Amino acid sequence: MRKGMTMKSKKLFGVGAVVLALLLAGCASSKSDSESSAVKDFPTEDVAMNISWWGDQEAPGAKKWLNDTMALYTKAHPNITFTEVLQTTEGLMPAFAAAAAAKAGPDIQYFWGGIYAQQPGWDGNIVPISDYLSAEELSHYTNAQVEEGFQGKIWTAPWYVNPSFPLLVRKDILAANNLTTPKTWDELLKVCDVLSAKKITTIAGGVKDGWFGAWIYSMLGAQSISSQKEVISAVVGDTKFTDPNMAGWWTALADSKKHKCWNDDINSLELYQAQQRFVEGKAAMTVTAGPDAPNFVKKAGGDDKAEIIAIPAWSDGPYAGKMGTSSQTLGVTSWSKYPQVAADFIAFGHTTERLNAWFADTGSLPADDRFDLTQVTSPSTAALFAAALDGAPYLENFIPAQLDTDAIFKNVQLILKGTITPEQAAADTQATMEKIRKSDRKVVDNFTAWSK
Amino acid sequence: MKLKQDTRKSPTNAGAPKGRQRSRRDAKEALLWILPAGLVIAFVFGYSIISLFTQAFRYDGKWIGFENFSIVLTDSLFHTAIAHNTLLLLVVPILVACAFLLAVLLFETRRGMRFYRASVFLPYVLPIPVIAVVFGQIYQLHGALNVFLESVGLNPLAQDWLGDPKIALGTMSTVIIWKEVGFGVILLLAHIISLPQEVFEAARIDGAGFFRMHWSVTRPQIMNTIIFYTVIEAITMVSWVFNYVFVMSNGLGGPGSSTMVSELYIYRAAFQNRAPELAATAAVLLFLATLLFVVAFFRIQRKSISGTFAK
Repeated sequence: MRKGMTMKSKKLFGVGAVVLALLLAGCASSKSDSESSAVKDFPTEDVAMNISWWGDQEAPGAKKWLNDTMALYTKAHPNITFTEVLQTTEGLMPAFAAAAAAKAGPDIQYFWGGIYAQQPGWDGNIVPISDYLSAEELSHYTNAQVEEGFQGKIWTAPWYVNPSFPLLVRKDILAANNLTTPKTWDELLKVCDVLSAKKITTIAGGVKDGWFGAWIYSMLGAQSISSQKEVISAVVGDTKFTDPNMAGWWTALADSKKHKCWNDDINSLELYQAQQRFVEGKAAMTVTAGPDAPNFVKKAGGDDKAEIIAIPAWSDGPYAGKMGTSSQTLGVTSWSKYPQVAADFIAFGHTTERLNAWFADTGSLPADDRFDLTQVTSPSTAALFAAALDGAPYLENFIPAQLDTDAIFKNVQLILKGTITPEQAAADTQATMEKIRKSDRKVVDNFTAWSK
Repeated sequence: MKLKQDTRKSPTNAGAPKGRQRSRRDAKEALLWILPAGLVIAFVFGYSIISLFTQAFRYDGKWIGFENFSIVLTDSLFHTAIAHNTLLLLVVPILVACAFLLAVLLFETRRGMRFYRASVFLPYVLPIPVIAVVFGQIYQLHGALNVFLESVGLNPLAQDWLGDPKIALGTMSTVIIWKEVGFGVILLLAHIISLPQEVFEAARIDGAGFFRMHWSVTRPQIMNTIIFYTVIEAITMVSWVFNYVFVMSNGLGGPGSSTMVSELYIYRAAFQNRAPELAATAAVLLFLATLLFVVAFFRIQRKSISGTFAK
């Protein structure tokens, strides 16, 4: 039939197709612009939503906030009810992987930022939140574009900001030893020398569970780069993890070990166990999750006794002396029957009342620039929030999760045990990345697309 | 003479067709008895095993031949994991020796045998995560073990038991021994108790001491059970130590990769690294390795049984 078309009818057909396409595009665009609350598609039948999340560990009070938010939402929409499952740190990703394999499970899933939100999107296990929330709404969500953006879409919605990661300093312990808060790397090493000679731990940490290793990487590693794209470039193989800008931090870490900055049992402790030493006054410093930092300051005796700083600079890169910034996020699973409800619930968490409630319940910063910062009265908390809003990229979020566990966690443990050199750590990281490029046959394409 | 030779049938030859017939009938009957259990096993495991093998040869649903095997077999982390499983096999003789010794001691114990037996068996019934968490605390650098060693002046023996990559696997194997030995003790003790007492009395009358009697009299009689326990523990070391490693190293197999084992490798490939095809490939290799132990066990058992009948 098409073979027999005249030139005129062909032209008419072409024009019609273009008009239809434009109409469809217009509809799609008006959908994403107008449906920030997704009320048009709201179901009238009973809907049971499931939320799988993590975060009460680093933002105590988050559970109360989530329960209140679910209750308030159900009050506004009586046919929507919620159940929630709080995951452990080790269980968060495996539980989602199992759910994804079964294509069943949570409607709303908690993700750490960056690669942890990108990967499920690449695997088709979540739908872009930008398909359900308007660009205007998402423009208020802190870090959404940098970490969760992919080829014009945004995978997940930032929930709260994770200043990554503050160094907590006990001014009282330093003062008792005639020391002050170190401002430079050399000053930090000097503090380590003085305190270790007195058998006082300078920085309490635990790397048995690995994650602290990635924190250290992000805090020290960001200091010698000028953009997260440099890291992605090493991931795809254009540069190497042994290049000076990528590997210098291993030497800084080894130096800190040499100056006995860390507790001697750092390898046999989990991070949370080690942090208690700071609270108990047995260590002068520790590192904690940003959202929990104000609580640690309170536990240590308040702003008079403790303060929050970025780790002193060992390098002179543009991010040296800056804290990292990342947002913990919520995504909508691809198997959810009611993605519009999930998205609407997420947006509900960003209403003014809920943003204020988040700060009141957790003391941490909601990932939304509409949050009124004048509510923050504590100087240390205000400084923390300011640092997070002008932070460095959080590097752990820009490498494959496998590189994190197989190279960063591992080599930080070995450097802190003193069994390998910085050069060996860098070489092993590079070798691991090369191995990952072979086993994860999509990693190069995905990271390349992400970097654009 | 020739005719005689041709017509004479040896008793064996005469019974051969009947024997073969009976043996065939026996085999059929045996198969009939095994069939229900076989069907249940096929129903439960059949699909997953076929799916596992299929997945090992695919990527993104496409057939890719042995590519996954090539990736796994050239992965240094997999080599490390296999090396650690192999090292853990060295624990098996220690386990068997400990179990045998404890079983014999309990057998010889006249008073409080029930209490001792319960004490030895208790670790076996405790959940592995609980044990691993408790030992994780005990083995910390400033944990109970080192505090004790330092309090009795044995400071040089105090180590970073789980934090030092050189000794972490060895430390973990002590926990495995502590937990697994109870099973062996109960198994061997049950067999020793069931042995005819006259044999022991005769050995005593002949002047056999403690070691001679249990080495030369008890051990050969319970050899089947010892072999069974050995194989079970060998399989444990190859494919059943995940819980210990996961809980004690927080799912990392660290420090470094000093406690990485094949099961953890599979778990991480499947659930952390989103590579189910590589997990399936490693699982196939592990399955085949375990199968070797099972086949070896049946061979040894068959030999042992035929040896017993021959005697």
